[in-house]
Amino acid sequence: MSYIEFKNVVKRFGDNTVLDHIDFGIEKGDLVTLLGPSGCGKSTLLRCLSGLEAVSEGQIILNGRDITGVPASKRNIGMVFQQYSLFPNMTVEQNIAFGLKMQKADPAVIEKRVQEAIAMVELTGKERSYPANLSGGQQQRAALARSIVTEPDVLLLDEPLSAIDAKLRRALQSRIREIQQELGLTTIFVTHDQDEAMVMSDVIQLFHAGRIEQAGSPVQVYTNPVSEFAASFIGSYNLLRADEFRALTGDMADDGRVVAIRPETIGISAEPPIDDAAYVAEATVVRSVPRGNVLRYTLDASGVEFRVDTLFRSFHLFDDGERVFVAIPKHDCLHIPAEAAHARAAA
Amino acid sequence: MSANVKRKTCNESTSLGAKIFLGAVGLYLLIPFLVTFVYSLFVEWTDILPSGFTLRNYIELFGNATFWASIGRTLVLCFASVIITIVLLLLAMYAVVAINRRLGNVMQFICMIPYALQGVILSIGIISLYTGTGTILSNRMVMLFGAYAILVLPYIYQGIRNALNAIDAEMLIQAAEMLGCGRFRAYVQVVLPNIVSGILVSSLLAESIIFGDFVLANNIAGTNYQNIQVFLQANMDTSSGLSSAIVVIIFLVVGAVTALVLKLQSGARKSEKE
Repeated sequence: MSYIEFKNVVKRFGDNTVLDHIDFGIEKGDLVTLLGPSGCGKSTLLRCLSGLEAVSEGQIILNGRDITGVPASKRNIGMVFQQYSLFPNMTVEQNIAFGLKMQKADPAVIEKRVQEAIAMVELTGKERSYPANLSGGQQQRAALARSIVTEPDVLLLDEPLSAIDAKLRRALQSRIREIQQELGLTTIFVTHDQDEAMVMSDVIQLFHAGRIEQAGSPVQVYTNPVSEFAASFIGSYNLLRADEFRALTGDMADDGRVVAIRPETIGISAEPPIDDAAYVAEATVVRSVPRGNVLRYTLDASGVEFRVDTLFRSFHLFDDGERVFVAIPKHDCLHIPAEAAHARAAA
Repeated sequence: MSANVKRKTCNESTSLGAKIFLGAVGLYLLIPFLVTFVYSLFVEWTDILPSGFTLRNYIELFGNATFWASIGRTLVLCFASVIITIVLLLLAMYAVVAINRRLGNVMQFICMIPYALQGVILSIGIISLYTGTGTILSNRMVMLFGAYAILVLPYIYQGIRNALNAIDAEMLIQAAEMLGCGRFRAYVQVVLPNIVSGILVSSLLAESIIFGDFVLANNIAGTNYQNIQVFLQANMDTSSGLSSAIVVIIFLVVGAVTALVLKLQSGARKSEKE
C-alpha cells in the first residue's frame, strides 16, 4: 500500500469532468511532479488532496487513513500557493509561526522551530519584514518555511515558481529539492514546465485532459514516451507520420503510429557517415537557432522537416542552405500510437 | 549626470505645478465655508459693508444645551448606524468569500438598491411599513437607526468588497486553512486586520452622509430625536448669523471626525510597519 493513494478519483464541475478516474499511489518521501498543460486537471487533483476541493467520486487515502471527507484544516497537509498567499499584516516570523500557533505549540517550541525554518530557507535577517517588503523569491521562501514548519504529512507545491525569474527559479528548484530530501518530506509538485519536472522529481505523473497519460521516473518518461502527446510534451521530439518516416529513412512504419526521434540523438556531418545502426540521409539546413549551449538546426530532407540538436561549439557550424548528412540511430526511433489530432512539438 | 539634473528639475517643476493646482482647487472648495464663516462673525450685513463684528452667535450656540444634545444625537446616529451596517456586511461577506462566491452577485444587487431610493421614499416607506405593527421595529428610534443603516449600505459594501478583492481574501482563507485554521477564524484573524483601512475609509464617507442628512431624521423622528440638521432647520428663521454659525460648527465637527479617522488609519499603518 502506498503512502498516498488516489482511488478512482473523479472531479466534475457541472457537466465538465476535470479529473477522470485518477488512480495511482505515491510512496513516502518521494517528490512526485504532476506535469501537464494548463487545464489538464493537475492543480485540481492537488486541491482535492489538500481538501480545498471536494471530489465527486473516489477516495483519497493518506498513510492508511481515508481523508476524502476530512476538512482541509484537519488533514495536516502543507501547501505553497502560486501567489505566495502570505498574510500581509504579519511579519515573516509571524507568518511562519501561524501554523504552530494553530497547533497550540509551546511558545518556546514555536520560537525555536520558526528560527530553524527561517535559517533553512535562508531568510535570516528578514524575520521582522512584512511580505510587501520582500522580493518574489523571498516571499516564496517564506511561504515554503510556513508550510514545512508544522511538519506536515505531505507538502503540496502548486506552481510555486511560475512567477519568478529564470535564474532565481533554478536556485529555488535546487533549494526546494534539498530541503525535501533533508526532511524526507513526501511532496507533490505541480508544474507545466517539463524542465522543472525533470530537475526536481523522483516520479513524473504526466496529465492530459483529466487523465494520467504516463508515469515514471524523469528518465523513463523522457526516453520512452508512450504516446504522441507524451512525446510532444516532454522534450522536443521530432514526430514523423509513417509516410514522412518512409520518405526520410526509406523504412516502413505502421499506419496509426508516429515515429518519435529526439533531436539530440541525430548526428549531423558534412561527409556521409558510415553507420549500419543508423539511417543515413542527405538534408539541407533550413535554419539554425542557438539555445544556450545547444544549437538547434532545422533540416529538410525529401520535403520532411525535422530538428537536430548539437552542442554549440565554434567549429562544425553549418550555414543555412548548406547540404549536410544526418545519421538517425535506428534504436532511437520510437514507434508510438498516433493521436487522432496531431499535437506536434513546436519548432 | 546632466540627464539626472534635467529629470530632477522636471520633477521639481511638476511637483510645484501640482501644489499650485491643488492649492487653487482647495481654495475654490473652501470659498463657501469661508464666506459662511465670515458672515457668522458680523452683526448685520445688509449694506456693502457689515455693521459690526461679533462672536455673539457662537457664544449663544455654545451656551445652548439643545445644540449640544443635537450634536451628540447626530454622532450616536452616525456611529451606531455605521457599526450596524459594518457588522452585518462583514458577516454576509464571510459567506461570499468563504462559502459560496456566487452569493457575491446577490449581495451586490441587494446593496445597490438603496442608491435608487430617495430619502423621502425610504422614510415614508419605512414608516408606513412598520408603524403600528406593535413590534420593536415600530419604535421610531429603531426605524431611524435602521433607515440610516440602509442608506449607507452601498458605500460601506463597496469599500469592504474592494478591500477584500485587493487582498484576495479567498486565497488567504485557504492558506490559513492549510495551516490548521478554521474558515471563520481565518476570516477574523487574517482577513479582517487587512481590510481595516478599507472599512475606515468607507465608514468615514458613510458618516459624512449621515451627518449631512436632514430628510430621514426629520421625517422619521422629527423633533423627538432632533439631530444637528433638524436643529439647523429649526433655527433657520431665528437668525441668519446663527444659522451660519451652526453650518460652520457642522463643518468643523465633520472635519474633526475626518481627521480622527485619518490619524487612526496612519497610526495603524505605522504600527504595521514597525
